[in-house]
Amino acid sequence: MEKVCVIGAGSTKYGKLQDSITDIALQASVDALESAGIEPKKIQAGYISNVFGIADKQVHLGPVIMSNLGIPEVPSLSIESACGSGSISFREAYANVAAGFYDVVLATGVEKVTHTGTEWTTTYFSYCSDFFYEGGAGASFPGLFASMARAYLAEFKATEEDLAMVAVKNHDNGFLNPKAHLRKKITVDDVLKSAIVASPLKLYDCCPFSDGASAVILCNEKFAKTHSKNYIEVIGSGRGGSPAALQGREHITTIPSTKIAAQAAYKMAGVTPKDIDFAEVHDCFTIAELVDTEDLGFFEKGEAVEALRQGRTRLNGDIPINPSGGLKSKGHPIGATGIGQVVEVFDQLTGKAGERTVKDAKIGLTHNFGATGASCAVHIFKSV
Amino acid sequence: MQAAPSTYSKVYKLLAKEEFINNAKLGKVLARKCTRCGYLHLATTYFCQNCGNKTFENAIIEGKGTIMTYTIITVSPEGYEKYIPYAWVVMKLDKTDLRISGFMGGIKSPADLPLGTKAKMTGYDERGIIIEKL
Repeated sequence: MEKVCVIGAGSTKYGKLQDSITDIALQASVDALESAGIEPKKIQAGYISNVFGIADKQVHLGPVIMSNLGIPEVPSLSIESACGSGSISFREAYANVAAGFYDVVLATGVEKVTHTGTEWTTTYFSYCSDFFYEGGAGASFPGLFASMARAYLAEFKATEEDLAMVAVKNHDNGFLNPKAHLRKKITVDDVLKSAIVASPLKLYDCCPFSDGASAVILCNEKFAKTHSKNYIEVIGSGRGGSPAALQGREHITTIPSTKIAAQAAYKMAGVTPKDIDFAEVHDCFTIAELVDTEDLGFFEKGEAVEALRQGRTRLNGDIPINPSGGLKSKGHPIGATGIGQVVEVFDQLTGKAGERTVKDAKIGLTHNFGATGASCAVHIFKSV
Repeated sequence: MQAAPSTYSKVYKLLAKEEFINNAKLGKVLARKCTRCGYLHLATTYFCQNCGNKTFENAIIEGKGTIMTYTIITVSPEGYEKYIPYAWVVMKLDKTDLRISGFMGGIKSPADLPLGTKAKMTGYDERGIIIEKL
């Protein structure tokens, strides 16, 4: 297998955007190309992740993006895997470069939904569940994660204040991120007093619906060495699956696909959780970050809460989690999120993260899943 | 000579959702028991999760159990507004390892539904699988 590197990364601001889905996808793609310092003509394939292109009247985004980049002859693949679309698309891009099919590829993720309103998004997002048992019985996505939260709080003696602390931490980080959707500091009290969406989760336990696009350029090591001085290497890539419905899982407070993907990525990279300097994890809801950081092996089961209380996951802690602000504060344009995490790792490991830089970081991890973790991808990167 | 039905169509016919729904309306869970290893699945599976076998026999399970976890929905998907607030629950079925989830009306606060509450499936309609407190 070829070694695979990321030599460029770009992102729009996340939030409520006015431009079309195609335009924002192109803005991020052009940013990534400029960051890599290469012309579009170098790109040999495109991997485009998106879930609800239909909401902005554009599906089959791949050829539209390639055509607008002046490379209509370049093949592309449009990928949907719910909220995990970005990382799962990144994995396909990675695998194709690793296998030697291509030297250089573009992976762009994009979503444009905020113009549709809360009812449309709540309804359409519920189609990402195992619909017969979940969305089709009135479960919203906040509701599914709220069910995980209620079980977790009961099993591990955690509190709603603990959940709120995840949101406060990630907003503190997002406040330092110029591209974050919810760029404001909040308090535990703000979270606890916000409207209940799906008990026990409140509005500030939930990530926002966001528009946004992120893009990265992947290439083999030979190309990276000849075209870039400031790049990162992908040292681990893992995928996993879980029963699509929560009812199919023996334990509701753990996500099997995360464990499977993480173990594969750690094995490939030859590292353990202790070697990871920081991680971008899938905190679509506050409860998810606690579950994720346990499933990724940073903490024993049930101990993420104590680590959070001790500040270990803060920007200056021993394992900073979501320095970008995470889905919770940076925002969650679902087709872009997994790519956006790679953008953050690229920025962190190439000295572009500004005020939110994780000190002395050499190895970063991304973790992103679809739905309640039915599909998952974990990637590990190191600075070069 | 008539063509033999494909394996796919045979399997599909056996696993028709209607059969599951008809049982749900009677408060029963139509499960599929692997003829090789005995592993129990909900009706909507084509291969045994435990051993990969593809033949099953029906196992009709009483839709009674214990509430494992739930949420109370106050911001709903389209079509459920008129039921707010309502619960979406995950119930562990008695005497098996199977779990089933569904809609539970009439739940306004966590005090209405402590974890461990006994409940039963009572039907299926436009709200999906209906579960009620015993």
